[in-house]
Amino acid sequence: MTGTVAVTERDPGRQIALVDLLDRLLGTGVVLAGDVVISLAGVDLVQVRLHALITSIRAEMVEPR
Amino acid sequence: MTETGRYLYAIARDLDPQVLAEVPALAGGRLEVVEHRGLTAVVSSVDLEEYGEDGLRRNLENLPWLEEVARGHDAVVQATATRAPTAPLRLATICLDDDGVRERLDAWHDALEEVLDRVEGRREWSVKVFARPRPAQVAADSPPAAVSGAAYLQRKKAETQAREADEGTAVAVADEVHAALAARSVAGRRLAPQDPRLTGRADRMLHNGAYLVEADEGDAFATLVDELATAHPDVVVECHGPWPPYSFATLEQP
Repeated sequence: MTGTVAVTERDPGRQIALVDLLDRLLGTGVVLAGDVVISLAGVDLVQVRLHALITSIRAEMVEPR
Repeated sequence: MTETGRYLYAIARDLDPQVLAEVPALAGGRLEVVEHRGLTAVVSSVDLEEYGEDGLRRNLENLPWLEEVARGHDAVVQATATRAPTAPLRLATICLDDDGVRERLDAWHDALEEVLDRVEGRREWSVKVFARPRPAQVAADSPPAAVSGAAYLQRKKAETQAREADEGTAVAVADEVHAALAARSVAGRRLAPQDPRLTGRADRMLHNGAYLVEADEGDAFATLVDELATAHPDVVVECHGPWPPYSFATLEQP
């Protein structure tokens, strides 16, 4: 690997990076858009919390764990 | 006595529930299916103390909890998606009971069928393009002696122009890579580039692409990525997959 070719991960058993996973599991408009949580919580609450969450993860993940 | 809700992981078609027997559910639970009108929802019971409105509000702020749930959710989606057409649900999608799950399957039925038709026999690949940091060449090019103010300003201006040209080239390359990959996929999407603090690398992410690719064309797709990376040594290309079709299971409804 010289660094000029693609870094390609073709092993389906390999874990998805947490960042990529959260991008997809929480991202706006990504994955089924229905907020079933509506029955438990208001739609607005869910949307707002998820946005706040992403922001907080971004801040938190720069800290050494 | 604690109240429980039904956590939804994914909705599939033609899923044999037996394939889920060995897959762990969240919170030490057991995976079950709710079948309705030809669709199969993969669910497990969760404690509403932890997964109800108040619990979620508290726990979603807790990164270790979030990671555990995201990993557990993904493991179930992966197990399902490798065996049947699957529409993954967003994290923490919870119904009060199985009747609630069936109501969802009713409400989403036609849209779900469309999503499952779209993703059947296909997998998602992630391709990211990063700007390669510009090597510092100023020190080598310029004499160590003092330079005049005008010469200094001129050099600064040239550096800025060169940097802007690099940026422009890199963005154009990212567009080109995306176009080439989209042409070879069933569908392509550009996700928001990730923050450098999250990727843990200094290089700026120019492109965060997701591609829906026929399951048996994964190798050809990865080869194309390699070719594109070789053709564009001025950027760094990263490719990961195959994954469940997370980015292509969006319902076309508000």
